[in-house]
Amino acid sequence: MSNTVRVQPDLKFIQELQQVGGESLKKCYQCATCSVACPLSPADAPYPRKEMVWAQWGLKDRLLNDIDIWLCHNCGTCSDLCPRGAKPGDLLAALRNMAYRNLAKPSIIGTWMSSAKYLPLLMLIPALIYGFIWSMRAGVLGTAFPLFVAEGHELTVAPGGEVIFGGLFPGDYFIDPIFGAVFLFMVFCFAGGIARLLKSFEGMPRTFIVGRGPEPSFASCLIDTLKNEVAQHSRFKNCGEEEKDVQRVTGHLFVFYSFIALMVVTGVVATGHWFGAWFLEHIMGLEGGLVGLIAWAGHTPMPLWSPVKLLANAGAVGLVYGLMKLTSRRTSLDASKSTSNWYDWYLITVIWGIALTGIGSEVFRLLGQPVLAYPTYYLHLICVFMLLAYLPWSKLGHLVYRTVALAYARKIGRLPMGELK
Amino acid sequence: MAEKLGVYICSGCDIGTSLNVDELVDYAKKGKLAGITPVVKKSAVLCSPEGKAEIEADIKEHGLDGVVLCACSPRVKWDIFQFGAVQVERVNLREQCVWSYKEDPSVPNQLPLMAKDYIRMGMMKLSKSRIPTPDLPETFKTIMVLGGGFTGLNAALEAAKMGKDVVLVEKAAQLGGKAATMYKSFPLSAPYTTAEDTGIAGLIEAVNANPKIKVLVNAELKLLEGAPGLYTATVDAGGEQKLDIGAVVLATGWVPGDKSFLAPMGYGSIKNVITASEFEAMVKAGEIKRPSDGKAPASVAILTDVTLCTKDAVAAEPCPEGEAVAEAPAAAAAEGEAEAPAYPSTESAKHLAYSSELTSLVALKHAGYVREKLPNAAAYVLYDHMMVPGINERYYKAAQDEAGIMLSKASITGVTEDADGGVLIAAKDTLLGPDVEIKADLVVLPTAVVPTTAHEPVMNFAYRQGPGFPDLDVFDGFADSNYICFPYETRRTGVYAAGCVRQPMTMATAREDAAGAVLKAVQCIGSANRGVAVHPRSGDMSFPVFNFQRCTQCKRCTEECPFGALDDDEKGTPKPNPTRCRRCGTCMGACPERVISFDNYNIDQIGSTIKEVYVPDDMVTGGPRVIVLCCENDAYPALDMAGFRGKSWSPFVRFVPVRCLGSVNAIWVADAISKGVDGVIMLGCKYGADYQCHFVKGSELCSRRKTNIAESLGRLGVEAERVEQYEVSIDEYDKVPEIIDRFMSEVITKFGPNPFKGY
Repeated sequence: MSNTVRVQPDLKFIQELQQVGGESLKKCYQCATCSVACPLSPADAPYPRKEMVWAQWGLKDRLLNDIDIWLCHNCGTCSDLCPRGAKPGDLLAALRNMAYRNLAKPSIIGTWMSSAKYLPLLMLIPALIYGFIWSMRAGVLGTAFPLFVAEGHELTVAPGGEVIFGGLFPGDYFIDPIFGAVFLFMVFCFAGGIARLLKSFEGMPRTFIVGRGPEPSFASCLIDTLKNEVAQHSRFKNCGEEEKDVQRVTGHLFVFYSFIALMVVTGVVATGHWFGAWFLEHIMGLEGGLVGLIAWAGHTPMPLWSPVKLLANAGAVGLVYGLMKLTSRRTSLDASKSTSNWYDWYLITVIWGIALTGIGSEVFRLLGQPVLAYPTYYLHLICVFMLLAYLPWSKLGHLVYRTVALAYARKIGRLPMGELK
Repeated sequence: MAEKLGVYICSGCDIGTSLNVDELVDYAKKGKLAGITPVVKKSAVLCSPEGKAEIEADIKEHGLDGVVLCACSPRVKWDIFQFGAVQVERVNLREQCVWSYKEDPSVPNQLPLMAKDYIRMGMMKLSKSRIPTPDLPETFKTIMVLGGGFTGLNAALEAAKMGKDVVLVEKAAQLGGKAATMYKSFPLSAPYTTAEDTGIAGLIEAVNANPKIKVLVNAELKLLEGAPGLYTATVDAGGEQKLDIGAVVLATGWVPGDKSFLAPMGYGSIKNVITASEFEAMVKAGEIKRPSDGKAPASVAILTDVTLCTKDAVAAEPCPEGEAVAEAPAAAAAEGEAEAPAYPSTESAKHLAYSSELTSLVALKHAGYVREKLPNAAAYVLYDHMMVPGINERYYKAAQDEAGIMLSKASITGVTEDADGGVLIAAKDTLLGPDVEIKADLVVLPTAVVPTTAHEPVMNFAYRQGPGFPDLDVFDGFADSNYICFPYETRRTGVYAAGCVRQPMTMATAREDAAGAVLKAVQCIGSANRGVAVHPRSGDMSFPVFNFQRCTQCKRCTEECPFGALDDDEKGTPKPNPTRCRRCGTCMGACPERVISFDNYNIDQIGSTIKEVYVPDDMVTGGPRVIVLCCENDAYPALDMAGFRGKSWSPFVRFVPVRCLGSVNAIWVADAISKGVDGVIMLGCKYGADYQCHFVKGSELCSRRKTNIAESLGRLGVEAERVEQYEVSIDEYDKVPEIIDRFMSEVITKFGPNPFKGY
């Protein structure tokens, strides 16, 4: 009896789980259809069957330290096949939602992110920040919808000029420092979340894999994970075989690579502006040649033929295409099998917001419509803020948590049955 | 005696193509019964309207009083071949002759001989049969319902609804029984998802208001004298009164099992371990409290796996009975039952296991109580089996959906007390891991349903065989005789058990049970009134007739009657009670003086039938002969089915159906052997604890008597192995050919011809 484990049921935890997307969890009667059907479940202690009974008994400790919730890619095959309508896929999603809520500190943001009722508050923060900048600049410039004429680095308000967002919301003093600070805050909070996540995995048993040799380092596993699961979506592609699953992978790949494209654009702009124009040209006093090119590449607004702009536009189109795929899948889900929760809708809506306001800003800017262009850009800033600042507590947190968990699972040998050859 | 016979031979269903029917007709015309057989005919299809019309015309024209129909099995088309007062004998030429015939190359062409044997046997049997003329007693029509609980109240109302007068006898001061002590019942109505009020108050009110029901409380049945339709019940209800009763519905229910059997799970030694019935009482009283400190528990564990308590009882099962029982009294003694019981208690830890369906449902119900009374408390249900048959699956599902009810399969390995008064439950093989420990503030253990008949005779019959039901140890005290085939029927005709005295059951089932038992009681009174058997030979007019001049008062019949139908006087002369009798003939089989007979089934008749089998003098050229006495309830249908499915067997056996192997008299075997028959097979039903006998003991009695037969044969120099008994159940048609052929090869080939052959 040396392996006797004390079971400590927690009724409150069950009720919490039911609130964040696992309302059907009590229906499970442990037939194990889910674990058999899952294309990604490992041979040892497969999920999601065990998570179902743990959830029914409210075994909080076990569920909060469970790496398997991250190995699941939520294809919903288990929920489709569940004879009792217990929706194991939804439960794992609910457990991930709990992790988003609790892993990163301060947990107050987790609470705000957990329910639609806090959405106004979450919007209000960036709305006030950028609203303040807008009104202050409007006072300085004498108009809330200015048109500018550019002379070198100097912008002058003049009728018949063009819409320049940087004129109303100056990057150097407002946009870049604020986003930079938000980014650092986010990274800092994430680091704490990752540390807690890794700590929770400490008790995981190691699976010996024949022929693999000594356990690989976490770093090498992380590289493998980035190469396969992240860059190629290798697990995701194996997750479900139906039309809707293919639709999901395609949509996700488009959104993922469009974001990468947009990140590259942002990177080029930042590098060009701060490194090229400011550091090299302004501080070091260098000029011409490569330095000029670097500075030019980061100068906004860009001409439409600029390769950077082309990449940005391609990213925007790809993003919309991917979002359409994902959204149409989500809206056509059979509610008796799988449901979408607040975390799902928050993320997809914010990304839609970024994509549409981003494209809208560009179009209205090119059309020279300040009254439409500036408010749209204002909304764009709010959406980007909402994606970036709250990232560790949103569903997008999976970008980091799942990557870490997959790498760790790789290290300890917890691999899907199909990958053990 | 049938004195004018008509013989009809059908040529349909392969009979005409396998046999020369014209030759058989000629043969029957020339037999030794030709004198009383004015009509012998062949028919293309005897069961057709034309075939039947021809028989009816002959009956009219020739005044026939018996017809021998040589066609298919008597088990089919019996509804067609009925001719009022004319007796019918069916000769089975189809299933057990042409369909199952197997040619033996060494002695070929046996089929015509076999058909002729059966025709002769049928004619002889009918010629020895009389139409019984039963007494028609004027019967009492009142139904007595014993027990005023949920089942008894329902039974009383059902009986009243059928227009019967009812006497409801309740031991306690109030009606309601166990149901009145319950907070709620499992679901009794759609959608079957929530526990509900038992409805007992309404039932009591309806019974009290019903003018056809006479309610006696504080009352006990002291004595039940007489026979079905003619009972005199002495009831003590603050003064003895005698009541005329037709039939009885036994609904005395159950008592909670001896709690000392729960000691291995901590009952008695741990304060916060209670039984389900104690928990029920606690909730009925108002609130859930821990016995140790009176506080509301935050968690209640309900355990249904009672292996810790029952493993000894189950392990003891194969032991001789004396040893197994030895443990139970120790527990009983602990409770301080000083006086030696005249009626041996059949209670054991096994009753915990027998109650497991209820235990599962009670666990779900009690988990629901916890959630209802204490919204912040959790209920853990640890079960070995979750038995929720039928519609109760819905109740189980509803319980599963409740967040605060946590269920897992588990084998309980120990229950111990924690320092703070909590209870630690150790379990293995759970859904939560192989070895787990769970702590609960309160633990509820199952309550065993123990039938009242496990402790007391209850009925107090004034029967020769005793005041209670016989052999209840087979059913651990449950008043049941053969619940698969004959629910409600007890070993005493006229008494029909319903509810938990018969089997642990839910209230929903008990309600149906009450209606079923009442229907049986009504059937019993009606049958007694018409002088016919109630069951299982419903409508049988025959009854045992005693030739008392030759009776030696050996008492075998009175002792062996499975239904206690025979009382006796001081000298031991049997005193028949026809309305108790089920017409199995066990008394006839038991009687060494052969003084007991039925008009249409008797020693001479079957003996003469056996003697009609032609036995060739030379076994090598003519083949051996074996008589198969087969039980008409199990073996005979199995043989029919085997023939129907194209099975075949040795052509040297001849089947003689009997009402029950219990009715087989040793003289028949002696007759057969002395005639030169090489062997006798007695083919009956299964006996033992899971017996299938329609008459409870027939097969078993026969096997006991066979030992005596074997001794007699030994004295005559005949090998005892020539007489064998085999058990088959009705569905074992595939085994029958093998049984017969093995007997032929192992016994007959081994021992060769009967030494008496040819004498």
